[in-house]
This record gives sequence, C-alpha cells and structure tokens, in this order.
Amino acid sequence: MAQSMVKEFTKGLWAEIPPFRLVLGLCPVLAVTKSVENGIGMGIATTFVLVCSNFLVSLLRNIIPTKVRIACFIVIIATFVTVVELMMQAYTYPLFLKLGIFIPLIVVNCIVLGRAEAFAFKNAPHLAIADGLGMGIGFTLSLGALGAVRECLGSGTILGNAVFGPGFQPFTFMVEAPGAFVCLGLMLCLMNLIGKK
Amino acid sequence: MHKQNKFTVSHAPFWHDGDSIGETNKNIMVAALPAIVFGVFQFGMAALGVICLAISSAMAWEALFQFISKRSIQIGDYNAAVIGMLTGMMLPATVPWWVVIVGTLVSVVLGQQVFGGIGANPFNPAVIGIAVLSVSWGTYFDFDAALLSYEFDFTALAPLGALDHQGVAATELFSTQSLLMGNQVGAIGSVFGLGLIIGGLYLILRGYIRWEISVAYIAGIIITAALFQMSNPEAYAGPMFHLFTGYTLLAVFFLAPESSSSPVNLIPMLIYGIMGGVMTILIRNIGAYADGTLYAILIINLINPVIDMIRPKALGKGVNNA
Amino acid sequence: MREMISMVVVLTVLSAFSGGMLAAVRTGTQDKIENQVLKFQKAPAIKKILSNVSNDPLQDRFKLTDNDQEITFFVGKVDNKPQAVVLEGKGKGYGGDVGLMVGIDIETDAVIGVWVTTHSETPGLGSRAKDNPDFVSQFSGLGLDKVFAVKNDGGEIDAMSGATITSKAVCMAAKQVQELYLRLKPEIQKQTQQMAN
Repeated sequence: MAQSMVKEFTKGLWAEIPPFRLVLGLCPVLAVTKSVENGIGMGIATTFVLVCSNFLVSLLRNIIPTKVRIACFIVIIATFVTVVELMMQAYTYPLFLKLGIFIPLIVVNCIVLGRAEAFAFKNAPHLAIADGLGMGIGFTLSLGALGAVRECLGSGTILGNAVFGPGFQPFTFMVEAPGAFVCLGLMLCLMNLIGKK
Repeated sequence: MHKQNKFTVSHAPFWHDGDSIGETNKNIMVAALPAIVFGVFQFGMAALGVICLAISSAMAWEALFQFISKRSIQIGDYNAAVIGMLTGMMLPATVPWWVVIVGTLVSVVLGQQVFGGIGANPFNPAVIGIAVLSVSWGTYFDFDAALLSYEFDFTALAPLGALDHQGVAATELFSTQSLLMGNQVGAIGSVFGLGLIIGGLYLILRGYIRWEISVAYIAGIIITAALFQMSNPEAYAGPMFHLFTGYTLLAVFFLAPESSSSPVNLIPMLIYGIMGGVMTILIRNIGAYADGTLYAILIINLINPVIDMIRPKALGKGVNNA
Repeated sequence: MREMISMVVVLTVLSAFSGGMLAAVRTGTQDKIENQVLKFQKAPAIKKILSNVSNDPLQDRFKLTDNDQEITFFVGKVDNKPQAVVLEGKGKGYGGDVGLMVGIDIETDAVIGVWVTTHSETPGLGSRAKDNPDFVSQFSGLGLDKVFAVKNDGGEIDAMSGATITSKAVCMAAKQVQELYLRLKPEIQKQTQQMAN
C-alpha cells in the first residue's frame, strides 16, 4: 500500500507534472507567475484545494451518482476554494490583493476537476490524497520555476532581492502577458529536451 | 471534399523568378543600401556600428541555434543577415550594444527558427524582435531622447512623437519634401524616404516583392488618413505626413511583403496590404502608440493564413462541393 | 426513480454541508478579515491624516449606526485626550466608488486632512486624486460650515484638470462625511468623552 502511494505521489512531480507534461491549468500558470512569491502562493492555494477535494470526492465516490458527479465535484471544489479565499484574506492579505481574481478561478482550474474526475473518483482515499499532494506540489514547483525565470529576467529580482548589479535594465517583456507564453514555451521545450535523454 | 487526392496540387507560391534564396536576400540588402548609407551619413559611425552588429549577431545566433538543434547550418543564404539588417534599420543609432544583440536573438530564434526556420515563420521576424525590444526598453525607442546629443540643421523632433504630443500643428514643422529627403529624426533605416522608395522600386522591378502588397498598403494609408483628416482637420494629420514618417515606408517595401508571412494570391494580397495601411493609421490616430506600424504588421501577419484561403477554384471541382 | 431520489438527496446534502462549512469559516474569519482590510487599505490613509497623535487610531475606534448603516470612527488622541476623529465617505466616481478618509478636529470642527483609500479611476487622470496630494490637500483646514464642492458648483475646491468627475466624487464623499458628522455630533462627543476617561 505504501508503495503505490509513493508511486501516485511521485508521478505528479515529474512524469505527469501538470503544466509542463499535461499542459493543464494554464490560466494561473500564465497569469500569476510575474514573481516567485505569487507563483508559489497560488500553487499552495491550489494544492490545498486539490488535496481536500480529491479526498472528499474519493470518500464519496460510491455515494455520488454518476449522472450528477460533475455538479457534485464543482460544489466540493467551490467550497474549498471559498475557504482558501477567506483564509487568505484573513492571514495573507497582501498576497490576496496581488492574486486577486485568480483565487476564485481555481474552481475552473482543469487540474482540480481533472484529478477529481480521472483519479479520485476511481481510487481509494489514501491514493487520492497522495495523487492530489503530488500534483499540487508539482504545480507549485512549476509555478515557482516559471515565476523565478520571469521575475529574474523581467524585474531583475528573486523573491524581491536584486540578483544583478545596479546596471541591469530589466527585460520587461518577460513580465508582460506575451512574455508568459514565450517563457512557458521555452520551459516546455527544455522539459522535452531533458525527457528525451 | 477532397475525394480525389491522387493528383493533389498544392497552392504553394507559384511565383518564382528562378533565383535562389541567397540571390533574393542579396538583392534585398542591395535595395536597402541607399537608406542605410543615408542613415550612417546622418547619424554617424554609431549607426554603422549598430547595423554591422545587428547583421553579424543575427547570423551568429542563427548558426548557433541550428548547431544546437542539429539542423543543417544555412548561414550562406543570407537569410539571418537580412533579418538582422532589418532589425538594425528599425533601431535608433544610440541604442546600447546589448539591446541590439537581444533584439537579433529574439528576431532570429523566437521570430523564425522556433517555427521551423526559413519559410515557416508566421510573423515577420524583424518586427517580432523590435516589438519585444520596444515593450521592454521603451526609453531607447523614444527617438527625441535617444538622439538628443546630435545637432541637426532641421527640426530635431521625431515627427510622430511631435504629432502625438503637440497635436496636428506640429505637422507644419515638417514639409513633405524634407521628410522625403530624410530631414527627420528617427530610426537608422527609416528616415530616408526617397532611398526606401528607390530600394522598393528596385525590388518590385526585379520581381523580388509583389507590387500589389506595397501599392495596397500605400493606398490603405492614404485613404484612411484622408478620411480622418476630412472628418476633423484640426485633430488628424494628412496622408502625406503619415506616409513619410515613422516606419511606414520600411513597412511598405521591406516588412509587409516578407515572403513567408504574406499572401500569394491577388485578392488576398490587396486585402493584406490595405488592412496594413488601415491598421497603421488607426493605431496612430486612435491608439496609444505614436507609431502603430509594428503592431499593424503583426496583425496583418496574423490574418494572413485566413485571407490566403481566398484562392482560385481548383480545376475539376464542381460548384456543389466547393 | 431510485436514481432520481439519490441524485437529489446527494446533491442536497452536499450543498447543505458546503453551505454550513462556508458559513462557519466566514464567521470564524470575519473579524480577522476586517482587521486585515483596516491594516492594509485604511491604515496608511489614517496614519497620513493623523500624523501627530500619541495613540493607535486603529485600536481606539467605535461604531455608530446611521440610517441602518454602520460607520466606523477612528479616534486620534493627543496626551490621552481625544483630539480628532477619522471616518470614511464614498462618492460616485468615473470607474466606481471613491473612498475618502476624512479627519475632523472635534474641537474646532475643521478638516485636518483627507486621503483617498479605494478607487478604480483612470490611471494617470482620476488616479491623481490618490497619487498626487496637491488636490486633496485643499481640504485641509476647511471648516465644516464651508461648502465641499468644486468651484463650478459654487464650492471651495479647484477641480483637477481632466478629472472633473473624480474631483466631484471626492467632494461628494467629503460632503457625505460632513453631513454625517454634523448629524451624529452629539453621539460622537458622548463616545469620545467615554474614551477620555
């Protein structure tokens, strides 16, 4: 049992890492990765929702009628997203101001609904938690990595600390919306290059 | 629809003048020479440095990328050289060296090579490079500030910037004749209107670019600008002013007719050109940017695949399944 | 039929559960969120207005109701004696409500200062009301018997060029505060006297 849990956990970290391998959940990937902090904050919020919704869906998988399963998933996911939103407002208000509209949008994030439908609905709760945690951490790491590249080039900082000398003039294109697409494309290219070997 | 696929005939460009790619590119560079020589004459050795660095770094980036991606190295067809040259022509002479190098990297690699190399780029590579640069380091593209240390014997204001800030009264500072003779502040290769026109005519007469696109582009600019001016002469500048300022002539003869990002049939070419002219004027008159040419080119590049579907009916096809 | 009933029952129970959970979380975080909003959006404005008080105006606050509306008053003390109150008014601007913090000296009934808090005005035009203190500083020192309106409307305030609607919105907010203060003055005095003791 432990072995299969490890397997479900690790697949989300590399083999099926959501934005780069599955190319899912691109709305937050492109929109909030202007800085490492935003990316990781968004990733943690998504991870929380993913684990909770996976667990609950998996628990209720024998009760939920197949015909209304999507409606049930959405109710469960929306509940947890609202919880996260309220929690962020209460404890990390500055981050909430930055992420703004993208927190409620986790509801329609493909990864969360996708894992509920493709995995949690068919597997036991402990596997679903491992899967949700793995996917969530993979998602957080991807957002952090993308945020690091964009923040580093686009504003010359990492987590707010300057990495280049004062002569550096930020490559602002990277923190604009088109830069997000270009950067994601280059990261995908890099992932494929590494995967080939 | 395609029941007979035995004798499939592609609609790929049939326009062929017998030249090689290298020959075409060499001729484009020759055609650009008058404008570049004038730019060097006007802005000094710094301009020559920018152009040379742009050409050489573009060729180096292309060779490097083709080496890494294990493609055959095609440095000999001057393709990267033309992209680098056009990128350099759109830069002001005072731009720092690293901006040039980043610009050609974006132009060559992101603009062309990642899409599959020559002939596969959906956008004009040089325009991609300049658009990215102007988003990132807009201060270097403020021609008034960039060329502050120069002393000219004419009005030392970028015409489009002046139009944007001071309104239509500023156009009286620039006579059409002096604009045509290059007496304006701007990018290295875009100030000398007459030189660009000579180069463009040369390319058209030799058949390297299609006259339909250039003529339609000019028509689009003149018609739209004239309509704007007629509606309110106090708010909008006239067609001649728009035609000879900014990147317009460069776009008409060098950027818009780029072979892989422009259409191949008559009607699409006319639509493509007119759209370019219309968009240029719309962005200049209504939009936030002083010079909308870059974005106009990118937009018409985007619609190119769609309008290129307007094509002659294939032989043997009935009306029913057309 | 059985399936129908189970569908209805499951969805109903799930929705009820999620509703209950959200209500619980909301009640639990309400005070915290209010504090955070105070801290990150209103506190900077209050600090700017009450720059030379000896207490923390965020702590010394009281609420009064007027026409079913709850209004929070922040009290500034000098030498442990209530000197001024700050309250927020709202005016209809170009892009939505403009929130304005107004500080009033309770002895002289004159405005100490005003500061814009929340707004969604056009950047570069209306947003100057917040970014450029020249406009709002016109309010400082005006007595509450004056007319808070732009000069075209017979008031005391020079409108910002190119941002007439925002200027009017700020004046409207100030006027709202003025009326409110004059109407609730006896109660405000009662409250502040309690605080002094």
